[in-house]
Amino acid sequence: MRTIFHLDLDAFFVSVERIIDPTLEGKPVIVGADPKQGRGVISACSYEARRYGLHSAMPIKMAYRLCPNGIYLHGHYQEYCRYSEAVKNILCRYAPVIEQASIDEFYMDFTGCEKLYGSFFMYASFLQKTIWKELSLPSSVGIGSNKTIAKIASDCMKPKGITYVIPGMEEEFLRRMPVETIPGVGKVTLRDLNAKGFYKIGDIAKAPLQYFSSCFGQCGTDLWEKAHGRGIEFLSPGHDRKSISKEHTYGQDVIDRKIIEQTLFNLVSKVCQGLRDEGLQTSTIGIKLRYTDFITLTRAKTIRPTSDDKEVYETVLQLFRKNHTRRVAVRLIGVHLSKLEEFSEQEFIFEDEKIRRKKMFQAVDSLRAKYGYASINVGVAQPSKNA
Amino acid sequence: MTKYYIGTAGWSYKDWVPNFYPKGQSKNFDWLQFYSRHFNVVEVNATYYAYLSPNSFKGWVEKVSSEEEFLFTVKLHQDFTHTRRFEEANIKAVRTNLDILAKAERLGGLLIQFPYSYAFNSPAAEYLRNLNDIFQDYNRFVELRHSSWNNPDAYDFFRELDISLCTIDQPQIGRSISFEPLITNSRAYFRFHGRNEAEWKKSISNYGKEQTYEQASERYKYLYSPGELVEIEQKIKQVEGKVKEVFVIMNNHPSSYGIVNAFELLFMLRRKDKLNIPESTLKAFPRLSKIAAA
Repeated sequence: MRTIFHLDLDAFFVSVERIIDPTLEGKPVIVGADPKQGRGVISACSYEARRYGLHSAMPIKMAYRLCPNGIYLHGHYQEYCRYSEAVKNILCRYAPVIEQASIDEFYMDFTGCEKLYGSFFMYASFLQKTIWKELSLPSSVGIGSNKTIAKIASDCMKPKGITYVIPGMEEEFLRRMPVETIPGVGKVTLRDLNAKGFYKIGDIAKAPLQYFSSCFGQCGTDLWEKAHGRGIEFLSPGHDRKSISKEHTYGQDVIDRKIIEQTLFNLVSKVCQGLRDEGLQTSTIGIKLRYTDFITLTRAKTIRPTSDDKEVYETVLQLFRKNHTRRVAVRLIGVHLSKLEEFSEQEFIFEDEKIRRKKMFQAVDSLRAKYGYASINVGVAQPSKNA
Repeated sequence: MTKYYIGTAGWSYKDWVPNFYPKGQSKNFDWLQFYSRHFNVVEVNATYYAYLSPNSFKGWVEKVSSEEEFLFTVKLHQDFTHTRRFEEANIKAVRTNLDILAKAERLGGLLIQFPYSYAFNSPAAEYLRNLNDIFQDYNRFVELRHSSWNNPDAYDFFRELDISLCTIDQPQIGRSISFEPLITNSRAYFRFHGRNEAEWKKSISNYGKEQTYEQASERYKYLYSPGELVEIEQKIKQVEGKVKEVFVIMNNHPSSYGIVNAFELLFMLRRKDKLNIPESTLKAFPRLSKIAAA
């Protein structure tokens, strides 16, 4: 039986904003898009703001209607990254294995450390206190036998909570919880589950696997396993980053394809830069397309590993042209790179063109590092519409 | 246990009124005395530009007499580091003043700061060895800004000389040395020049031109953010327990930004006890309220 900790920084962006400006303490603070422009969503909000019904990913326009007296901030992303790194440095002092799941979430594997650290509950409390003392950041910790249980547990007693799910009690712990508590159950899955009468996680656990997987496919099998308290038990510390994505919400919805393709080109340029900065390459390229009526689709394609703007852009363009089928204006467009792996030199031996392009990107990246992102742009001839 | 000395480069800046020094000061008000009540070290930079009278040093010693642990670090005159033309009389002038502080047990050490152009090569190393011999009676801190000094041969050389290599933070332009603490003897010396990249670049292109004090200081005008300070704290803590003394000097003095960051690092690196921060500083920089004693 493994012992996994999930440490989640409570209202992380807001906590950092309150360090930068302590006068925000105790006030409803919302980090995200500018409500005056009326576009975009909430990235994070304080517990005071949540009392007005606000939550992350809520359209900023709706948030402003519910909480007009809130303090709306655009946020200091670089500061968040610095604090996140500082938290990781603290955790590295104490945890044998760490996986950073996102900017404010960390998994740690303490399996076999019982004798070393004594009570896990006390140890979680020690980690919380250390982070609070050194960085003034509140956090919640969940402890469980796998990642899913630990993650659900950390969410149970927010803020500044600790939840320890005793091994063997996983199913009981989950039984009465609503199905949307399971990580990965979004609006669409929730609707489908509810339509079939699944409201509590216990409802899923009671159903026969065969029935459940015939209704929901592979995703259903995973859900059924999670409902029984099972999940991934091993961390992947080497792959801190799981994906890189960038999105753009238009100030005014756009119908002209050329404009959207230009935006895609700029987004590709940025995500590929991020990829190369971290010495990574991607093999799954995805797009996100949101129309003016909020209908959203995501599509992805797997290619051989690359970090080359041109290859990524060609795939993105293919995906976009194939899936942009409605004659409705586009509100948001995004590019998503996943299945990231470390860059391998070996692959490019004997491929002159690739080597030349790699050198070009190295030169571009070093110029950007020195003079800023906008100092140089990579040009790619746009493939013809029939491509 | 490592002892921290935290302060600023210089204390006599008009633009620190009223954000640090109060407005409408009485005749008896003394800036150094006021400063020494808040910080335990100051770096004397005026000695880089001029050979000061020994009476100035005696006066300073007198002014900080009520602060038991207060130290001065003294920057070596530019004749030794930039023009690199000096005579016996110059050495004597420097030593006389250092001896006044040393005798009063107020000397933290001598800061030997070379320009960016001073790269690592045999003549440069020999010159440094010579300077080191001249001033070997005092603690020596050498600041080198060119990244060529960032190599194991140079590190061995510093250890052999028993000289502390300053860890500096400045905008990363060209072949600037990076912000990575390195222990070369029993002391560590950190200098923070800010990260005002645009002004730093401008100052490089204006090098040698006539400039006002404000123009020359502009590149140091930078307030480190809380996130940057957290990074800095963790880097400094890497040397904790491995050296006897750590000096942390904020050279981002314009607009009293150095004072603000010095207060913050004082809180972060020492016992995390709340600090006595002047009311006017708190008013100008509300983020300090979290670390201020009620």
